[in-house]
Amino acid sequence: MVTALCSVRVRRGLVGLLALLALYGLAAHIASGRLPTRVSLAVHEIEGVELLPTYSSLVEEGVFLVQAGILLQGAAVSTGRVLAGLLLGSVVGIALGLAMGWTAGFEYALDPWVVLLRFTPALALLPLYVLWLGLGEAAKIGLIATAVAVVMLQGAYQGVRGIPRVYWDAAAALAAPRSLVLRRIVLPAALPQILASLRIAIALGWVTVIAAELIKPSMPSLGYLLALAGAYPRVPTIVIALAAIALLVLVSDGLTLAAYRWATRWMRRRYA
Amino acid sequence: MSSPGRRRVVLGCVSVAVLICFYTVASNAGRLVDSELLPEPFARLSRPDLLPPTQAIFKALVSLVTGELPPMEGHHTHPSGHVGHLVEQHVTLQGALLVSVLRVLFGVAVGGPLGIMMGFILGWNRTADDYLHPIYILLRSIPSLALITYVMLWFGHGEAHLLIPIVYAVFTTVVIPAYHGVRDLAEVYVRAARSLGAGGRLLFTRVVLPAASPAVLSALRYSLVIAWMTTVGVEMLMGDDGIGHLLVGGGLWSSRLQIGVDPAVIIVGILGLAAVGYVMDAAARIVSDRVTFWARRRRAW
Repeated sequence: MVTALCSVRVRRGLVGLLALLALYGLAAHIASGRLPTRVSLAVHEIEGVELLPTYSSLVEEGVFLVQAGILLQGAAVSTGRVLAGLLLGSVVGIALGLAMGWTAGFEYALDPWVVLLRFTPALALLPLYVLWLGLGEAAKIGLIATAVAVVMLQGAYQGVRGIPRVYWDAAAALAAPRSLVLRRIVLPAALPQILASLRIAIALGWVTVIAAELIKPSMPSLGYLLALAGAYPRVPTIVIALAAIALLVLVSDGLTLAAYRWATRWMRRRYA
Repeated sequence: MSSPGRRRVVLGCVSVAVLICFYTVASNAGRLVDSELLPEPFARLSRPDLLPPTQAIFKALVSLVTGELPPMEGHHTHPSGHVGHLVEQHVTLQGALLVSVLRVLFGVAVGGPLGIMMGFILGWNRTADDYLHPIYILLRSIPSLALITYVMLWFGHGEAHLLIPIVYAVFTTVVIPAYHGVRDLAEVYVRAARSLGAGGRLLFTRVVLPAASPAVLSALRYSLVIAWMTTVGVEMLMGDDGIGHLLVGGGLWSSRLQIGVDPAVIIVGILGLAAVGYVMDAAARIVSDRVTFWARRRRAW
């Protein structure tokens, strides 16, 4: 494990990251005196905007945000929404996807609606959901769930369709009941595809939640923080909010990747 | 048509027809039946401004396409604020869709090649990959819609602050499949060609590019969906035209929350959006299938 951490690849990666951070610091330092501080928004001009905030102002701002609880609370709220939407969407999407992959009739009947939903950006549904479900949590979670469900549905469907014919025939020859087929054949075989689509769904869920919070903001949340900081504008807060979002996305993506690797270890052993 | 194919079409049409009938009945329930007779949740839902009756949807579609308000017909059908507002600004459905399509195409045309180049560089050169991969992962983790406020500070209120997030989204989406295509899929072919003495540019143009092209083309198809999503989001937030703007109801950003939104317009907009998206995806699929006919695999969707 330690040797893996010190490997050439990891070292070079760290060097790359540090180089990027150093470059940014340099640019911010050079720019702090030179860049225009007057920014014209749509209707008025604002003074005193630093377009590339230096590290010192970022740290200052970050400390303030954390101490005031804004950042952590906002992060918690946004993460909660993503998780809730993920849970709801996954259950619905996986169930429908499995059913569609299993029974051709079900697939043919649901196909037009799935295609419609696939080509509708989830955000376009937001005004509709807000109208039906009110300005509270339900609309945002419903939106995330819709986006997630579409992705998970496709993943589950591909997973079921990818099961080799032999397994179905063997189960039929041995007169296996449906529940057994589901538990022992379909779910394990579809799991890799489901987890792969879970990664995509998580990324999509984060994009959706941030966009939903930007469009219909409600305190406290990271999207609202971003919108507020953008409206003021307070650039250090924008950068910190972006960094916080990126961190959360990275962590959730990393966790899902680890889960995927763990669940598909039986697949990889074949090549060992 | 073969029998499963015919069954698919028939079942699909039946399910669409069934839902439309069901919806028409449900949305018109308030008018057909006295609302006190309905059970509680239905009575609440059948308000025409929550569930627009099918004919209202149709009317909204007509007025958005032709750009004219329907003649006033008594107090039953009057144009909602949303439709009136849009017609006032000379916004039509096809005009808005055209603007959005142009933005999407721009995003894919600029972000696609950039992302593919980046993916090729990362996939081909291990050293570059070692240094740059974590940076790419960091950049990818920032949702492109979140960038819009920051970008607007740099570039003002023109078109750039709408297009940059779209380009960024396409770019970050396309890099990984291109990387995967060059690194993993082309490896066998590269080894074979190298053992026969090929090298340098010949190796790249005649072996690597064709071998990676199925993955790259399917990535471009997928990036189309991502580009649409970003375009709609960007237009909903800060656009002056385009389909996202139509969906949210027009007006400046600050007043976006106050315009009463008419669900009929939204449904019309969504149908138009889905139709255009489907057509673009079908076109991309046809083109990519023609180019990579030799790698055709049975596709489930």
